Amino acid sequence: MRRIYAIAVNTFRETIRDRVLGVIVLFALGMIIASLWLASISLNQQARMMKDFGLVAVTFFGLVVAVFVAASLVHKEVEKRTVFVLFSKPVGRTEFIWGKFLGLAATMLVVLAGMGLFLFLLTLVVAKQASGWLLVATALIYLQLLVVMAVTVFFSTVSSAILASVLGISVFVAGQLSHNVLSLSRLGNGVVLKAASWIVYVLIPNLSAVDIKPTVVGEASASWASIAAWGGYLVAYIVVVVLAASWVFRRKEF
Amino acid sequence: MAETTREHATRDVLVVDELRKTVAVGFRRRKVEILKGVTFTVREGDVFGLLGPNGAGKTTTLKTVIGLMRPSSGSIELNVGGLGELGYLPENPYFYDYLSGSEFLGLCGRLFGLRTRPLAGRVAELLRDVGLEDARDVQLRKYSKGMLQRVGIAQALINDPRLVLLDEPMTGLDPVGRVEVKAIIESLRVRGKTVLFNSHILADVAELCTRIAIMRAGVVIWSGPVGDALATGDGDLERFFMQVVTA
Repeated sequence: MRRIYAIAVNTFRETIRDRVLGVIVLFALGMIIASLWLASISLNQQARMMKDFGLVAVTFFGLVVAVFVAASLVHKEVEKRTVFVLFSKPVGRTEFIWGKFLGLAATMLVVLAGMGLFLFLLTLVVAKQASGWLLVATALIYLQLLVVMAVTVFFSTVSSAILASVLGISVFVAGQLSHNVLSLSRLGNGVVLKAASWIVYVLIPNLSAVDIKPTVVGEASASWASIAAWGGYLVAYIVVVVLAASWVFRRKEF
Repeated sequence: MAETTREHATRDVLVVDELRKTVAVGFRRRKVEILKGVTFTVREGDVFGLLGPNGAGKTTTLKTVIGLMRPSSGSIELNVGGLGELGYLPENPYFYDYLSGSEFLGLCGRLFGLRTRPLAGRVAELLRDVGLEDARDVQLRKYSKGMLQRVGIAQALINDPRLVLLDEPMTGLDPVGRVEVKAIIESLRVRGKTVLFNSHILADVAELCTRIAIMRAGVVIWSGPVGDALATGDGDLERFFMQVVTA
């Protein structure tokens, strides 16, 4: 456990100090500020536009950071041969993968918390609305991005960093649409179609289940029980994917 | 007799016997045998030089000893307390750009389970030994090649290992850097550590090593005391090396 912690702290330091991360976060804050302009041209929808556009900006830039850092996380260590140094010490491959993942998760926590708080304060000051759901929505975006990170780390252990990035983004997009697969299966009577739909539905994480933007803008009301159930499902999904990545990585030679 | 055998066995820190390694390369996964039965023994207190032309299998041998690669057949007997008593410097080491020298050594120490207070002392001691005290808080991306090599050696020594494996420790260094690294290896020998290193710089090998093994195309073709090699090569290790590898 102490080795996982040591690797996680090292990964956090290494990624948080990377200047590219700072540039991306600055862009994200710029986009959130740009929501003020959109809000100003929308009629009586100022607060709604700020929240909606702001959350999209948080998701988009969070996704950029999650995918590109996660894809290079393990790959860079192998390419630049820092794994030679780590694995010449009593470090297990599973400890390495978990340490890297948790370190990046800590970096993402700082990034998402920063963006979420910025959006919250901006909405509070400009639109005079303090919505706790905005912070809950940011936390759930963080959870979705952890799933994407886990999947990207898994793909980076079996493919190149670029392919892992593409697959990570694909899983994010598919995760927003996975509930449609289930609806699709209800259209026909074929057993094969139903089975295939279920397999796809189980394999692809249902990220849209924790998307509460409609609640944030007042179009719907999310239930805490549903958030807790789907949140638990996504945490379990992350654990399974990271364990799978560890299993693949254990078989690698350098 | 049994006593003698046991005494001899404890002196062998590393016994590599008939080590073979086959890897699959290219799209068609063509099998290539890199190691074809490597055999050599490193004894306690040796400074052992593993020599050979490029592609002889020196780095693969070290990687297999460390466990970065799995042997296809043969055996590796490591008579030290596992990875906990082993130090390793890879060839052309690259470390984390955004960590300082002391942070990096701290990470390496924690991987061996060293506690915060003794670790801080050990890091300070090693940075002093390798002459990087003034650069302890400088990020590694600002280190020169020689400084990286020295911090690489420091990380290999963080656990005070009995056996130190150095893969091309002198490669790419300027004369000053070479002298510094040689001094570190010499100090390890004085402290009774066992050192195994690869090198193409035969003058350094002649100066530092007690025993050597020469590899060619995945096999050890000569091994023995460096004194014997020098005697056969009229005091010139380069001449002896050429005689052996071209024979």
